[in-house]
Amino acid sequence: MQIKLKIVLIIIVLIYILFILKAVKRKNMRIGYLAFWSITGGILIIALLIPNLVENISNLLGFGIPINMIFSIAIFIILYLIFNLTILISKEQNKNILLVQEISILKKRINELEKKEEKSDGK
Amino acid sequence: MKVLLIIPAYNEEENIEKTVKKIENYNKDVDYIVINDGSKDNTYKILDEKNIKHIDLVHNLGIGGAVQTGYKYAYENNYDIAIQFDGDGQHDINCIDKIIDPLVNEKVDMCIGTRYLDKSSSKFQSTFIRRLGSNIISIFIKLFTRTKITDPTSGFRAVNRNVIEEFAKNYPTEYPEPESTVSLLVKKYKVKEVPVNMNEREGGDSSLTLNFWKPVDYMIKVILAIIVDSISFRRKGGKK
Repeated sequence: MQIKLKIVLIIIVLIYILFILKAVKRKNMRIGYLAFWSITGGILIIALLIPNLVENISNLLGFGIPINMIFSIAIFIILYLIFNLTILISKEQNKNILLVQEISILKKRINELEKKEEKSDGK
Repeated sequence: MKVLLIIPAYNEEENIEKTVKKIENYNKDVDYIVINDGSKDNTYKILDEKNIKHIDLVHNLGIGGAVQTGYKYAYENNYDIAIQFDGDGQHDINCIDKIIDPLVNEKVDMCIGTRYLDKSSSKFQSTFIRRLGSNIISIFIKLFTRTKITDPTSGFRAVNRNVIEEFAKNYPTEYPEPESTVSLLVKKYKVKEVPVNMNEREGGDSSLTLNFWKPVDYMIKVILAIIVDSISFRRKGGKK
């Protein structure tokens, strides 16, 4: 890989890590998810800093050119991530339905009780 | 015996008052609860002003989530029988006796009111596309549960205390009518159909309006749901 390209990529990864830190600082990301994102950031940095690492691994695994390996890995990771998000969303939807139902039933009961109290106060 | 009508309502300002009036004038002793599913029109105002017993969902959940709220209410208030009843005037209050009867006299767990079993029972037979859809769903239910249900998308159904408890805890909220039927059949509850009269909708839009993609999408997902339910519930084992 050309040294110029490497520098550009390292800068991009650094910005990416900055984004992660910012999200954590603003509490927009729970610590559980932080693990995933910081590990991917770490792997990217290591892959860029150790010379010929990507080339050697891709030769070892039989990929024609290193970029093919990178794309393949990236696609699999993204698929895995989206799959997990779908499961997460489904779970949250179910919880959401449960909450709306219980709150609505409680609201009705509170209203009824308040009306009863008003009546007994009136007497 | 305490009987509750569960009436899901979404944007039903034109019909809901009429429906409730009919129920109140009905000479048998039945309670009702309207579940206002986050309507965007004046439904909630009408419910408040006319003193109609109702639960306002704080957020729109869709028909499945709304009806389950009704089952939860029925369970908490110790009702023996719950009947799902549409707020749009499609269902006929005079058929209530007919639909409860198998629960009381034949120990059936759920009784579905159908348009198709006896064609003379209902003047309104719905559109060709809908009947085609119903038939396809029917075939799949028969395939996976070995039981014939002629009107699997009918929302007019009565259930006993056991099923109220079951539905209060888990009710398929995505494609409620066919899915709940399949889940009960797989868990070895007894399900029966009786012919009832249904009217054409008096106003508002049906949840399945006519465009091409929506019914196709619905069919594919319902069939998928039937397959998944019949496998997953069978694994977990049936009724205690």
